[in-house]
Amino acid sequence: MIKIVVTDDHKLFRIGLAELLKKQKDFNVIATFSDGEKFLDFYTKSQDFDIVLLDINMPNIDGIEVLNKLRKIKSSVKPIIISMYDDGNYIAKCSKNGAYSYLLKNTDEEELIKAIRIVAKGKKYFSSLIAEKMVNFMATQSVSENLLSNKETEVLLLISKGLTTKEIATQLFVSTRTIETHRANILKKLEVKNTAQLIKKASEIKLI
Amino acid sequence: MSVKNWTLLIINSLVLLVVLTISFSFYSEFSKVLDKRILLHLRSIKTLKKIQLQRLVNKEWNAFTYATNIAKQGGIKLPENEFLVNGIYDLTHLHPSKKTSIGLVKIKDSVRYLNIVSYKKIQQILLERTGMGASGESYLVGNDYRLRSQSRFFPKTKPYEIIVKTEGVINGLKNIRGEGFFPDYRGIEVYSVYNSLNIGNLNWVILSEIDVKEVQIPLKEMRDKLLILTLITLLVSITISLFLTKIITNPLKKIHNLIGFMAKGNYNEKIQLKNSPKEITEMNVALANLSEVISSAVNFSVEIGNMNLDSEYQPKGKNDLLGKSLLKMRNKLKAYRTLESEINKSNKRLLIQNLESERKRLARELHDGLGPLLTTLKINVQNKIESGENKDTIKNIIDTTIAEIRQMTNVLMPTSLDKFGIGATLNNYVQSIQDSISFPISFENLTQHENSNITKEQEIHLFRITQELINNTIKHAKASQIKISLTEFADFLSLFYFDDGIGFDSEKVTTGSGLTNIKDRVEICNGILIINSSKGKTTFEIEMPIKNNKND
Repeated sequence: MIKIVVTDDHKLFRIGLAELLKKQKDFNVIATFSDGEKFLDFYTKSQDFDIVLLDINMPNIDGIEVLNKLRKIKSSVKPIIISMYDDGNYIAKCSKNGAYSYLLKNTDEEELIKAIRIVAKGKKYFSSLIAEKMVNFMATQSVSENLLSNKETEVLLLISKGLTTKEIATQLFVSTRTIETHRANILKKLEVKNTAQLIKKASEIKLI
Repeated sequence: MSVKNWTLLIINSLVLLVVLTISFSFYSEFSKVLDKRILLHLRSIKTLKKIQLQRLVNKEWNAFTYATNIAKQGGIKLPENEFLVNGIYDLTHLHPSKKTSIGLVKIKDSVRYLNIVSYKKIQQILLERTGMGASGESYLVGNDYRLRSQSRFFPKTKPYEIIVKTEGVINGLKNIRGEGFFPDYRGIEVYSVYNSLNIGNLNWVILSEIDVKEVQIPLKEMRDKLLILTLITLLVSITISLFLTKIITNPLKKIHNLIGFMAKGNYNEKIQLKNSPKEITEMNVALANLSEVISSAVNFSVEIGNMNLDSEYQPKGKNDLLGKSLLKMRNKLKAYRTLESEINKSNKRLLIQNLESERKRLARELHDGLGPLLTTLKINVQNKIESGENKDTIKNIIDTTIAEIRQMTNVLMPTSLDKFGIGATLNNYVQSIQDSISFPISFENLTQHENSNITKEQEIHLFRITQELINNTIKHAKASQIKISLTEFADFLSLFYFDDGIGFDSEKVTTGSGLTNIKDRVEICNGILIINSSKGKTTFEIEMPIKNNKND
């Protein structure tokens, strides 16, 4: 038996979803709540359930915050986000905050049930569409841990190849002033005064 | 009176005064010296003759005294009762023809001897005229005021017949030695030196004289020369002063004309002053400067008149009231214009804000109002409708509607803008666009993510601008790629948009293309927009300042 809690601020949807789930013999919807706060109140009293279906947009405490709280207390409850939002950033954020799955509210019954079953086993489930959006988003979000940002490293490489600011701007599809600013920032970060020193220092610390 | 006349009068009076003073003093000095020299000369001649005469008479006397027999009576018959003592006598009055006769009387052995000194010898001495010029003469006068020696001027007249009663003779007979100017026996002014001549019983006067007229010939010549010199000097001085006044008055006239032009508001006239005095040239330069100052103020006011308020003007000094007032006016106008554009901007901002909040409201209505209803509908369909073809159709319609609503929301106001910022939003937006177009579109998000300092307002504008640009490219550009990057720096952000479409003329595109909208939004954000468009390469560079505190 998979014990499920549904938290969504739309009453009709909440009821509809609960009814849909109750059709499955092995699903037991033990409670429904209209916002995150009420759910968390309940959670402090009883942790005897497997899965919580969370909407993102809710009054008082929203879905992402609930994810955060559960993650922090290392809860055994597996949260699944069910949202209207299909943007990569929402998906990525929820995934990062411990969502086991991300479903759109208009997901078909079959997929919904499939996802719950997979999550109930302790596995994560992301449909190919959702996964693609997430990956696409995360690809652009890469933040460099190095001294220089990725862009700055790129600019530095082109500078070392002897390209002018204008050529670099054309190649990287940014404005010349952007390149100038990058260049100035690179000089500042590497604590050098001119291009010659920059190239020397950059090769010393193996940036290029 | 004009400068010219003043100058002429003053300079020439001065010159005349100086020349006359010099001439006069020179003349009188010369005249004095001349007098002195002449008198000295006459004196020495007179003295010489006196000595010569004395010697002659003494010699004759000695010869007569020691001689035994010689006696020259010269036709004079001595009266019996007179001249009874040895001596020298004037016997002229005894001579039958009154010829000058100096008689030597000697009594020896009761015999009276008489000898007459040779008149010829006396004449020789007196007529010796070396150094006496044309009118000089030395002559002897007896105590009866009659001449004793031949007059140069009346060689035919017997000396005795000429009466000389001049100042010199009168003084000489009184035994006074002297000199002076007075008329001689002819009545003609002479320089005269006189002395008594007393030999034995002779009581005569010897005079050496020369005509004043002759002496003064060089003086007159000099006076004439001085007069001519004065005239020449005066002429020269008049010419020079005329020239001088011309030098001064001509440029003054030109400057006068120039000032006349300036008074009528024409500041472009210039005058050339060649070879003018330094002060006049300086004045002209000062005038040119004045003209420049005024015309620069005029130009400045013209600029202001044309509402060209960025033109600059440097006040020419503390007292440049005109310039200062113009500057004040310009600053006020500038302030008004700034205010006006501020008001314009804030109007635009308000308008856009209203628009955006309306869009946001609409988007929320759609997403949060319709969305849940549709999803609930779908749940209910899945719950309550038996499986079959109808159920799938209805489910598909609902899904399509939801997708449509999502798309509309994205266009109206992406929900992620509030929560995830512009970078993530544009990322999503570009991805959703990519799904509907066939050529690649890419967005590079170089914002600071969670630490971004881009304001919500800027985010909305950036989103709209990008949306507008993408729309334009898709609609008009026939491009095969779009590249967008948004870079955030500490103090500014740069949105760079590129497409390789057919390009457009940014001067000519109609307002309908949304470019005005973009410009307005950039302006509201105090940003700058640089558009470069040519076939195959169109770029938009947008920069906006970033304040380091997001709450500002």
